[in-house]
This record gives sequence, C-alpha cells and structure tokens, in this order.
Amino acid sequence: MEEKLTREEVLHVAELARIKITEEEIERYQVQLKQLLNDVEKINDVKGYDDEILIASWYAPTTLREDTSKEMLNPKEVVENAPRHSGNYIEVPVVISEEA
Amino acid sequence: MTNYIPTIGIEVHVELKTKTKIFSPSVNGYGEMANSLTNVIDLGYPGTLPTLNKEVVNLAIKAATVLNCKIRREMHFDRKNYFYPDNSKNYQITQSRTPIGYDGYVEIDVNGTKKKIEILEMHIEEDTCKSTHRGNKTLLDFNRAGVPLIEIVTKPCIATAEEAKLYLEKLKELLFYSDISDCKMEEGSMRADANVSIRKNESDPFGTKCEIKNIGSISNVGVSIEKEIIRQAELLDKGETFQEQTRRYDDKLGNTVLMRVKETGNDYRYFPEPDIPYLYVTDEMIEEVKKTIPMLPDKRREVYVSKGVSEINANKLIQNRPLSDYFNTMLEDNTNFKIASNLLLGDISAYLNKNEKVITDTTLTKERFIELIKNMEDNTLTSKNLKDIIDKILESTDSIEKIIKDSGIENITDDSAIREVIVKIIEANPQGIADYKERPDRALKFFMGQVMKETKGSANPQMATEILKEELSNK
Repeated sequence: MEEKLTREEVLHVAELARIKITEEEIERYQVQLKQLLNDVEKINDVKGYDDEILIASWYAPTTLREDTSKEMLNPKEVVENAPRHSGNYIEVPVVISEEA
Repeated sequence: MTNYIPTIGIEVHVELKTKTKIFSPSVNGYGEMANSLTNVIDLGYPGTLPTLNKEVVNLAIKAATVLNCKIRREMHFDRKNYFYPDNSKNYQITQSRTPIGYDGYVEIDVNGTKKKIEILEMHIEEDTCKSTHRGNKTLLDFNRAGVPLIEIVTKPCIATAEEAKLYLEKLKELLFYSDISDCKMEEGSMRADANVSIRKNESDPFGTKCEIKNIGSISNVGVSIEKEIIRQAELLDKGETFQEQTRRYDDKLGNTVLMRVKETGNDYRYFPEPDIPYLYVTDEMIEEVKKTIPMLPDKRREVYVSKGVSEINANKLIQNRPLSDYFNTMLEDNTNFKIASNLLLGDISAYLNKNEKVITDTTLTKERFIELIKNMEDNTLTSKNLKDIIDKILESTDSIEKIIKDSGIENITDDSAIREVIVKIIEANPQGIADYKERPDRALKFFMGQVMKETKGSANPQMATEILKEELSNK
C-alpha cells in the first residue's frame, strides 16, 4: 500500500498555513507530503552530524554589526508596497481578534 | 484562598535599550510616526539578510550576569514559524535550542525570608510589529518590528501571586539599574505572561496550565493570578476538566478571559536560522560587559543602611535612580548620610518635583551639598529656615554660608544673645518655673516654644535647650 499521511495530519498542516484545501487536494497531499518527509528523513542517515546542529557550511562566527543607525524608509514608500493602507499604517484583514 | 496548591511560572519580555534594531540599522524608538522607523529588513522583504547587533549581544550577556545565569559560549538562532500578520516573514527569529543564558536566579524577600526564584533560561529574539484592530481591519506599524528583546523564563517555582509580584519588581529593578531596558510596562518595554496551574497535593503531578498574556502592570499580574487560581479551583471543585489555553487579563472585567486554545510547541516547527552563522561568546566579551555593570540595588541598600540611612529612605532613594546615583558619588566622603538622605528625599525632592527637574539639573555640587549637610548638622540652619532658601541653594552657585548670610536668617548661635532672651522669658513666666519642678519635659517644651517665638525660629535649638535647662535649674 502507498505510504501516506493521515487526513487529519494534512488538515492540521493546512490549518497552520491558514489555507483551505479541497477533498481532492487532501488525498493528493496525503501522498505527496509523506514522500517529502521520507526524502528529508534521509538526512538522518548521513554519518558524522549526530546531535550537532549544522546551520552553516563552516564554523566561522557570525558578523556583528555596530549599533549605529542608517537611513530608513519613508512611511510613504512603506505603504506603497502594501495592497491596502490607512494613513501611514499597513492594513490587513483581521485574522484573530484576540492575539498578542 | 482555595484548597489547592498553585504552581506559577513567569515569562517576561524586555525590550533592550539599544540605538538600533536587532538585525537592521533602523532606529529602535518608541512613540514615533507609524512606519517611520523601518527598512527592508524589518519589513521582511525578499532577499534581505539579518546582521546581528553587537550591543544586543552585550546587553544579553549583561542581563545573564545580573540574573546569575550561566552563559552559553556557542549558539545559533532558530526560526519560530507561525502565520500572523504581526510578522511579515511568517517566522520570528529567536533562540529555542541554545538560549544565551540558563540556570540563573533572582533573590526575593518574602516577609523577611529570602527565596530564590529560579530562572530556567533567557534568550534573545526580535519583537513583532504592533497591530491595532479596527472592526474587521487590522492596522500594522512596523516601528516595533525587529526591536531587540530578551525573554526571561522562570521555572514553575513561584508559589503565590505575591511572590510573582516581588519577582517582577526585583527583575525590573535589576534590569533598569543595569541600563539593559527602561522597563516601562505601560509602554510595553516590559511585558509579563504568567503560567498558572493548581493541584490538590504536593505529591500530585502538575495540573493543566493556563497562560495569562499581556498583563499591563505588576499589580495586575498579582490580581490576574489570584483570579485565575480561583477560576481553576471552581472548575475542579465541580469535577470539570479544562484544556491548556491562553487567556488574557481584562482590566475592565477584573478577570481573565479566553484568547485561544494553545498551539503546541510542535506547531511552531522550529528550525535553525540559516541566515545567521554561529555566535560565540568569549571570556573577553564577558569581562568587558562586567565592567559596565553599576552598583546594583541590593548592594546599594546594604551600603546605605551601613552608613546610617534608614531602610525606608534607602528604598526610596533606590526607587529614584538619579538621586541614588547622586548619593553614590558621596559614599567615599565623610559626611552625615542620614541627613543627606533626609534632605534629598525631603526639601530637595519637593523642589525637583515642583520644577520638573532631576538633581543633576541643579547647581548642587557634591561639595556644596556636603557644606549644606554640615550646616544642618550643627544647627546653623534649621529645617524651617532651609525651606526659605532651598531655591537659592539649588539655583545659584554661591557657597551655602553666603546664601545663609545674605538671606538674613542666620541662626542665633551666639550664646549670650540666646541667654538674654531666655532669661527674659523665664522671668516673665514664674508659673513655668514651678511647672518645671513637677513636669520638666512639658515645661521645657513650653519654654522652647516661647524662645522660638521670640527669635522667630532662628535660635539654634540644641543650644537653646542647654541654656534653658541651665537657667531653669538655677531657679
């Protein structure tokens, strides 16, 4: 039998991304997402990394920036790139009315 | 309060006092025009890359030090993924696996008993943008996006709402005094969330916890925890169970209200931030930061009390950072610190409040202040007379001696002048002499009143008392 995620797992992932998916898509993603997971899990077979987290190709330290300011954007430029705005504010639909 | 044992853990977010943001060179500021403190990094434009601000690392090391934490030497950042418009990247850069500080504590005083509130970890992360809800719209201001934060997480070791408040007050004092944050809860530069659960017995596992978010003041942290304990106890008493959830404290209702049933940790799909290579903290960095830590409040309290300042005054001085810093400049000098603290918190504070000034705005150099203290100590200047010349003292650069002379309120410290007045008063009040034999204290008070009336308050009280006693016992 073809390996696949459960229906609930796919719906949960869709919920986290806040997208609606059709019945046909649910079935398709059950298979496709499982294949993706299997591919990513192959990383576990690579020897030598153990629990060390590899985030860069070399252990060179990150660059640190001095605490000095540089030119910023004009609020007009900021809102120009947003689909909707209200004065200097970027406007979006309410997602959850109670949120931090 | 209830028959249950509460278990409380506190998470505090503190905005760091840097000039610029954590990953971009935009200004870190508050109260400016919406979206005026941003650049493409803060707005999460495609192709931009974060570069870590050195000062953020320094302030985080400083915080870890004052919170008695161990400091991690090798670390990375993580992405916390979530869908919400307060973060246009759809993830927040934080430290999940490798927090910079861990295993620390803050000591509080619970009714005279010391208790260590243990700190599980403290990590660096970026603040989100500020969202304001207007009907079915949300308005976004990215000025706050990318403001550097540290999050400080305690172990579930807080037993009461009172302890939670004491912990927050202490934390605020420490971070404020080390110049890490201005810790203004009303402006959101310090924000507290409380995790509360209850259980019947010490041997039971922890109960289901509820998180109370966005509590706007330290006193509301206390109230909201108390209300939440009662709410949970009432449910358990009825035999009901409840889900792990996020609630918020509603000031108008005076109670906690449900926000959402919590997403679990896994839903954030943390993974290492590949855009920021490893961060290493060296011994040299830690040593450099330690040099910038000023004398902390507990130490100040100890030193002040050892110099004769009352505990009440010591605490009042510490609550007023500029006054406490000013006081610290005199610690090596030989002066009367008790009088110094009384003056700073009394007439000098009254002047500063009235004129909306801080002590360093005045002309009161350390040398002039010590001169003033000396004049108060030897009664050349009485508290009553001080009030008349305090403005002059704090606004002119004249010596205290000259100000006293010029104002013509010089105390009568001349022995014979006072004696002359006293002899006259005693002669005019024979009944007082009789009273003195029966109830000396009362009679003395009466005579002193007369002396002050006669000299318009300018007699040196100590000297007047001596002479009064002498003259009265000769009668």
